[in-house]
Amino acid sequence: MTGWLQSVHPQTLRVTALALVLALVILFFGSQIDNYYTARMFNRISTSVAIILLIAIGQALVVITRNIDLSVGSIVGFTAYLVGDLLVAQPDLHPLVVVAAAMALGTALGAVNGLLVAYGRVPAIIVTLGTLALYRTLLVEYSDARSITTANLPKWVVELPQATLFSIGNLDIRVTFAIALGVALVVHLALTRLRAARRLYAVGSNPDAAAIAGINAERVVFTAFLLSGALAGLAGFVFLARFGNITVVAGLGFELKSVAAVVVGGVNIFGGSGTVIGVVLGTTLVDVIDNSLTRWALVSEFWRDALLGMLILIAVAADTLMNRYLDRLRRRRHMSELSAGTAPLPRETG
Amino acid sequence: MRRLVRWELLLLVILAVTIVINSAMSPMFLTIGNQINLFQLSIEKIIVALMMTLVIINGEIDLSVASMMGLAACAFGWLFQLGVPAGVAIPMVLALGLLGGAFNAFWITVIGMPSLVVTLAMLIGFRGMARILVEDRGITGFPEWFNALGQQPILGPLPLALLVFAVLFVILLVVLHRSGFGRKVYVIGNSAEVARYSGVAVPRVKALLFIASGFVASLAGLLYTARVSAVRGDVALGFELDIITMVLLGGVSIFGGKGTLWGVLLSILIVLNLRNGMALANITGHLQTGVIGLLLILSVLVPNLVQSARLSFRPGSAAR
Amino acid sequence: MPEPVLAPPVLTLAGVAKSFALTAALADVSLELMPGEIHALVGENGAGKSTLIKIMTGVHQPDEGTIRLAGTAVTITDTQAAQRLGIAAIYQEPMVFPDLDVAENIFISHRDQGLLMDWRRLHEAASSQIARLGVTLDVRRAASGLTLAEQQTVEIARAISLDVKVLIMDEPTASLSAHEVARLMAIARTLKDQGVAVLYITHRLEEVFELADRVTVLRDGRHISTRPITEVTPDALVRDMVGRAVDHFVPKAAAGPHGELVLRVRGLAREGVFTGVGFDLHAGEVLCFSGLVGSRRTDIGLALFGIQPATTGTIELDGRAVLIESPEAAMRHGIAYVSEDRRKLGLAMALPITANISLASLRRLLGKLGLIDRRAELAMAEKHKERLNIRTHSVALEVGKLSGGNQQKVMLAKWLETEPRLLIFDEPTRGIDVGAKTEVHAIINDLAAQGVAIIVISSDLPEVMALADRVLVMREGRQMGIFAIEDATPEGIMSLATGERPADAA
Repeated sequence: MTGWLQSVHPQTLRVTALALVLALVILFFGSQIDNYYTARMFNRISTSVAIILLIAIGQALVVITRNIDLSVGSIVGFTAYLVGDLLVAQPDLHPLVVVAAAMALGTALGAVNGLLVAYGRVPAIIVTLGTLALYRTLLVEYSDARSITTANLPKWVVELPQATLFSIGNLDIRVTFAIALGVALVVHLALTRLRAARRLYAVGSNPDAAAIAGINAERVVFTAFLLSGALAGLAGFVFLARFGNITVVAGLGFELKSVAAVVVGGVNIFGGSGTVIGVVLGTTLVDVIDNSLTRWALVSEFWRDALLGMLILIAVAADTLMNRYLDRLRRRRHMSELSAGTAPLPRETG
Repeated sequence: MRRLVRWELLLLVILAVTIVINSAMSPMFLTIGNQINLFQLSIEKIIVALMMTLVIINGEIDLSVASMMGLAACAFGWLFQLGVPAGVAIPMVLALGLLGGAFNAFWITVIGMPSLVVTLAMLIGFRGMARILVEDRGITGFPEWFNALGQQPILGPLPLALLVFAVLFVILLVVLHRSGFGRKVYVIGNSAEVARYSGVAVPRVKALLFIASGFVASLAGLLYTARVSAVRGDVALGFELDIITMVLLGGVSIFGGKGTLWGVLLSILIVLNLRNGMALANITGHLQTGVIGLLLILSVLVPNLVQSARLSFRPGSAAR
Repeated sequence: MPEPVLAPPVLTLAGVAKSFALTAALADVSLELMPGEIHALVGENGAGKSTLIKIMTGVHQPDEGTIRLAGTAVTITDTQAAQRLGIAAIYQEPMVFPDLDVAENIFISHRDQGLLMDWRRLHEAASSQIARLGVTLDVRRAASGLTLAEQQTVEIARAISLDVKVLIMDEPTASLSAHEVARLMAIARTLKDQGVAVLYITHRLEEVFELADRVTVLRDGRHISTRPITEVTPDALVRDMVGRAVDHFVPKAAAGPHGELVLRVRGLAREGVFTGVGFDLHAGEVLCFSGLVGSRRTDIGLALFGIQPATTGTIELDGRAVLIESPEAAMRHGIAYVSEDRRKLGLAMALPITANISLASLRRLLGKLGLIDRRAELAMAEKHKERLNIRTHSVALEVGKLSGGNQQKVMLAKWLETEPRLLIFDEPTRGIDVGAKTEVHAIINDLAAQGVAIIVISSDLPEVMALADRVLVMREGRQMGIFAIEDATPEGIMSLATGERPADAA
């Protein structure tokens, strides 16, 4: 009766459940809030998803390897500010150079995390809790209490968030949203098609077996942190473009939001599994709740963090309980075979 | 054990050096007033660090303490605004701390989730609840006697919070290093399975620690409120970093089972003196936080490097 | 029966020796594996089988001797190197990636496959690998949903996909059902037909006779015999395994009258683990649980101690039915369980001897306010140090720094301190030296003399013969028989445990 549950890949189960929850949440808010299904709402959510999604994808790569990156918020702030500063000094830089600079900066910061975790054998939670503070401090020192303001930025940067790739009716597909979706697509393809990327799963799924299979776990973990840094750097640039005014608190709290999006998106916090589709859905869910609460009359927007916390708890608890249930099913199957097949074996004696 | 003693000796040396340098920089440094002041500025963090020591030795972690401090402060402010007398609000807030700790304990011991995830979620969750209560307001105007508790000395030159710290230190010292409960904390941190096979009620010990952690955090939140005489949604934001750093720097293993409260006391003194010294040298608060972050990483990295160096110099021994 | 094999041996071990610290685990062992043969390797626990496997898979390096692969001398530096040379091993506990699907699990260590995953080709290739084994398994399923047997199949498929010439199967059937065992044996035969040399390690003689072409016996780290299966009888094999130790069996002097009935167990079962266990145990009596690894002896101990409570049946202590649902409850009833796994389940390695000894009886050391009376704790440790002859300069030393035998004594001390009426020993002398072993046996006899009811779970036949008043033999979760030691012979126990002789022949 419950056999079908086991033939479905757990990941498929998670994504399906998540899509269902997302649909229900949207329907719920649609019934609560007037004029909910509008282009404005879509555009608003899509622009804010763009930033979080980039960070969450990087976070997912790290979490899949059984680690965590709590420094992403600080990396976002750091790159947003430094790239802003660079643009103020050299407004004529080619956009691609600017983006490359942002990603390079993020990569460098990610490399520090990766080195300490993979080769220094310091638990990721300790390292990134430390660099969360450290990177923010570097930013504060560097900024010397100055802010980047929209007025000083080149026009193309300021206009980037409004730039629309194409529209479907009233729905604008903004360039930043398209970038984020593009990255999601690339990472999705890499995770499912690229042989090297499969090692992320192998290392997170069973480190001992990975070692026997000849996988260099240190390098895999290091790479995950590099990528997380690079994507946080890219997010830093998008952040700069979206807000224009950058102070030293830029990106504060993004680390928790990204962990939330990833965990809600069905990436196993113990590593080994997770999909980009799940992360996209998780990010969207977190952001839809976030943006809808501000418009909901019944509760104030101040509820969002409390709800976010509960959402994480429930997502992980559901996962824990589901795994335990599947495990029990498997054991029961094994046991029933064990007690069914006790007939003596045919035996030849010499 | 011997390794630990050596670590604590190292801490003692670092502390001595810090004190010498600080005294050289400012003649005021070693005065009782300055030393009390130095404690006073971080008193809530170090109170919570004491309890955190037990949690980490037990092999768990509580990342939600700072948010619980914030929630306690905000709950107090909210109750006060509702017209609840401060004398009644205080026990209610402490009960809230117990409840919050029990909430964490439920997910960890009953559902079986890792404390890292649960308390990370509640780092967000408790903070969120705090914001629901006070939104973006600042609440002040608490009774004189309440503010005095946070600011005036009540015993000789010692303010209440410092007394709480001293009393809690002694209590936890006895509990951790002398009592049967403390012994179980160590054994579970060493190996929860060994503890279970020896008849230790592992979930109960864990649950008690998280409940106590919630309680101590709420007490610290109240003390903070009294000291600054005001409540905002971001009270104690980010304090968990300092707290965990102090514990780990004190020689407590992040994997549990190892460490002493004496080591943590030494590291608390180092961190406080370091901060004070940096302030004397006109180093900003933000840079100080960065230095603490660096210390946190080094406190785990250095022993790791020393150990792997030692292993690679011992011929014939396995690498792991 | 196989024709005399003319092909050169695929793997040759000559004069291999290996010592750990001062004990020799292997001495002058030679072994030849032919292509297309199933070669059984048997021997009691501690005979050196695992060490031999570890040398063949590169986990350990031999101190002496040579390894030749198809005639060429090789050095196997690590498991990776072993795989490259075409040697792979599968164990009782399969090493799979739970989150990856079957196909990816099979091909994870293939290097030269290009940049991109070709899932269709991967699944096809995996299906054909699985098909080569003569089984059906959906290669798209995640490994986490597979049974142990299916995971083993995946591991075997992984090994043959790497073109192994030698496949080592280390007690692969220990926790499988009869049905699954039959399937695994079929796989082994298929591999043999494909020219793979299979080294099959098992405790079950029936499997040896059903499957193997040749059989090698190890005892005490030495090579005893290698013979074609056609030239050996089960009795001869058992004799080789048990060896001259037979002479040393000193069956206990017929025990005098024992004390009162302490434990009465009837119809005890844990769903899917063991079933139909029943026995009586008197004060001062030693009952040994004998049987092979995986025969579920330990699980009965765990049920009596409340770690994995029984699901049906009754346990009566002193004539009263009791419910034991947790170790705490078991301890309240005066039951103690000395685990076989010191490292994981027995001792807190980083804590001092004192804390480990007092752990199970902390309550008695607590004064007012729940504080530990440290002087009493120290006295407690010193008392046991004297009594059990724990060799250490200080009882404040970390337990992890003691030798295995002394660790065993500390663990023993921990449980003696609870003053149990029923003491369960699980493999009390595994991995400790001969001297310490004698001491532990003396302690057990001593306790029995003092009127403690004792259960000893042991795979070591000489130990069973030396300690037991009565023996209970388990096989695949079933109680095969229970009899007085005077009526037992090592051969009799062994054949009952291996299923070589039916239960009624005991």
